Amino acid sequence: MRLDPRTKLFMVFVVSLIVMMSATTPFLWAIRLSITLIPIILMILEKKYSSALKFLLAYASALVLTFYFLSEQSEGLIASLLIGYCGIVVQFMPAIITAWYVVRTTKIGEFMSCMQKMHVPDGIAVSLAVVMRFFPTIKEEYSSINDAMRMRGVMLGGGNVLRMFEFRMIPLLFSCVNIGEELSAAAITRGLGGETKRSSIIELKLGLADYLLMAFLTASTVIFVVYKYFL
Amino acid sequence: MENKSKKLKAKDFITVGIFAAILFAVEFAFGMLGYIHPYIVASYVIILPLASGIPMMLFYTKVEKFGMITILSILLAIIMFIGGMGYLGAPLIVGAGVIADLIAKSGQYKSFKKIVISFGIFNLWICANYFPILVTAESYRQDLIDGGFSAEYANNLFAAINVKTIGILVVLCFVFGCIGAVIGKAVVKKHFEKAGIV
Amino acid sequence: MSIVELENVNFQYKGSKDGSLNNINLNIEKGQTVLLCGASGSGKTSIIRLINGLIPHYYSGELEGDIRVAGHDVKKTELHELAGTVGTVFQNPRSQFFSVDTDGEIAFGPENIGLEPKEIKARLNDVVAEMNLDELLGRSIFDLSGGQKQRIACASVAALLPDIILLDEPSSNLDFDSIELLRGTILEWKRQGKTIIISEHRLWYLKDAVDRVIYMENGVMAKEWTGEEFTALSEEEVKSYKLRPIVLEEELIRDIRGESTSSFCDVENNIELNDFFFSYKRRPYLLFKKKFKESDGDLLNLNIPSLKIPKGKVIGLVGPNGTGKSTFLRCLCGLEGDCKGKLVFDGKTYKGRQILKICYLVMQDVNHQLFTDSVKSEVMLSMKDEDEKRCDEILESLGLLEYKDTHPMALSGGQKQRVAIASAIASGAEILLFDEPTSGLDYSHMEKVGDLLNELASAGASVIVSTHDPELISECCDYVLGIKHGKAVYLKENKKL
Repeated sequence: MRLDPRTKLFMVFVVSLIVMMSATTPFLWAIRLSITLIPIILMILEKKYSSALKFLLAYASALVLTFYFLSEQSEGLIASLLIGYCGIVVQFMPAIITAWYVVRTTKIGEFMSCMQKMHVPDGIAVSLAVVMRFFPTIKEEYSSINDAMRMRGVMLGGGNVLRMFEFRMIPLLFSCVNIGEELSAAAITRGLGGETKRSSIIELKLGLADYLLMAFLTASTVIFVVYKYFL
Repeated sequence: MENKSKKLKAKDFITVGIFAAILFAVEFAFGMLGYIHPYIVASYVIILPLASGIPMMLFYTKVEKFGMITILSILLAIIMFIGGMGYLGAPLIVGAGVIADLIAKSGQYKSFKKIVISFGIFNLWICANYFPILVTAESYRQDLIDGGFSAEYANNLFAAINVKTIGILVVLCFVFGCIGAVIGKAVVKKHFEKAGIV
Repeated sequence: MSIVELENVNFQYKGSKDGSLNNINLNIEKGQTVLLCGASGSGKTSIIRLINGLIPHYYSGELEGDIRVAGHDVKKTELHELAGTVGTVFQNPRSQFFSVDTDGEIAFGPENIGLEPKEIKARLNDVVAEMNLDELLGRSIFDLSGGQKQRIACASVAALLPDIILLDEPSSNLDFDSIELLRGTILEWKRQGKTIIISEHRLWYLKDAVDRVIYMENGVMAKEWTGEEFTALSEEEVKSYKLRPIVLEEELIRDIRGESTSSFCDVENNIELNDFFFSYKRRPYLLFKKKFKESDGDLLNLNIPSLKIPKGKVIGLVGPNGTGKSTFLRCLCGLEGDCKGKLVFDGKTYKGRQILKICYLVMQDVNHQLFTDSVKSEVMLSMKDEDEKRCDEILESLGLLEYKDTHPMALSGGQKQRVAIASAIASGAEILLFDEPTSGLDYSHMEKVGDLLNELASAGASVIVSTHDPELISECCDYVLGIKHGKAVYLKENKKL
């Protein structure tokens, strides 16, 4: 099933919104949970089983820990570390899962076409597309640098925190700047930045699934806000 | 022949995108530390400006036209929003970006003094993320506790970040932004200028 | 009619003498295929950049003279206006993509110039059919091999239907079979009547494909041959121009492709490798570390139960891309923690992290391997006890002493490689591994690398070098080790030149 990128962006928006407002009653928790489950189900539909499972496990374990083992009165180092971990997961995992799903399943072309439909200026669309394109590059470069550091035995920068940071940062920046130069040269020689309006091979169309999902997300948000603040 | 025109070109937009990605990677790596203890959340005003000083000073060497810093802040606001860090802060992040851009522009993007101040202002985006804690203090505290954080965590968080300390935090943020700029510039000199890249 | 005209062109990059051009006069007829050859820094790439407009619009410097390409005055034409006329395939397949998916990448150019979606689809289908790309459609760029990426890069350029296609050292990161495919693509473009200009060090695959060959030397067009004259050049003549060979020996080609029928020769003074198994597809379970075994068979990307390789020699590691050369090197130097291989060296057994102490891998992209702000501190960083005298000795032996205080990133590619080697020596590593050290190098630099590897071996180090360059093998390898489908398939002695 292919969702329209606009639906995906809407989903990101809604989830971020709901993440910001904590759930305080079991009913609100139910809404929050169901909204978190949507991207996980979508991931399964996209056959990204292992990621779906990982997110699900991390989220479920954090929830269980939070509600059965940790309480308002928890104190002490281990408890506070655990609270920290569960805090991140419970609070932000839904947003992270959704963002991950959207970034992984949206093609750059779809994204650009969607930005255009929404009348976002081309420049900002290009910048955002590059951000999306660049995360995997940074990951690749960083892991090569890490390998090199391991081989030279400088993982800990000789016990110097600053060098630890410097040894990772400097080669990464050199690589990224180089790749960036070549990337722009290649993009510009293929016509990026012309005065002609960009077109797109991808014709966006909202399907039934898109409308259903958007309706559901909107309804959830409205109910959430009403129950939380007005009842 | 450099492009002398004032309009941003495709290359500039790509540069901004790349640095936004790098900046976010740095924020993300350090941001995760915050959940160990709320005081670390408060100390972002020190850690993040110092850590992002190096990539940002490299970025400033690539800026020649108005708009690049502004767009970087827009991207940052969007990424922070998607990451669930708050929609209240987003306009403030962009605001800080525009002001930073104007300041750097007044020095033709060359004057180091102006760049230092500009980066100091730019860093106020970090404080923008504290915004929800201030504005909705009481309900936010209850939210945190109901949302799974312990009372200890919430109390510490509010002890560190509240209406009284925010002024100090903003000042710290600016000051360490300036220090981060000076250190970042030194590193850029040590590596990138020595290597003849910029 | 000339489609490309360069008249009295002089050019110098801002702040660098490398790649400058001196009084270039060049006319290229429509439909011609032109090869630019010569040492690195001789100006080949600069000519490519003049024609696609990257000089002066992207790389700045001092430019004089007239450049006309298909009726456009390049100096006064914006880069994007040239997009439908001139297409460029770049050297590095890693960095020339804008999209993450293959379809989107091919459509990227046509989208930029604002074509109708229907037209773009038609072009996409045409290009895919012409270049047999069906199997690559719908994939992520990050999962493709270098060769596959380069094919997509060619397709994304072809989709703009340019009259002129430029290729800037396109074979640098490709293996033998991918280069053959690249040749096919070039011949197809030639058949379509495109004007093609190729800057290249590897010459064998362009034999009988080019109409003109221009030899560049220090920014001047020093020599020109027709395609026939070029093919007829003798081996000695080619060498005297410091060019890589035009004709390769059949046997070397078989070796390089991992298709030699030899088996394993005996080596007395050896290093023993045992239980080198590894898989990317299936990691050992997170909680209970399950070992990879030989019986895992096809799941393994590396499957070497036992192997004896000669000590103190230079061994060429060959085989097609994606069949385990890099994996072998990574496991051998201890970078893949999940590989539980044991190494017997001088009667001592090393495993896991211990291997890192005696093995050192010089990576293909040496930029990832350099951390500090001077060559000297780079070498010192590798030493357990900092010893300035020893550092100077090492630098001296590699001809780097004069660059002692230079930033490693300011050096040329070959020099950076030598800095990496210097830190390898300083770390006390006795087994030195090289991952394709000569891809993208010109003949004389390749020769230098070959000499260096020989010297390292005669000083007692064991050297293993993965390569796609038959020239390098005949230059310096004592043995050739073939790897295919993760298995060692042969080890044979090699006659050096």
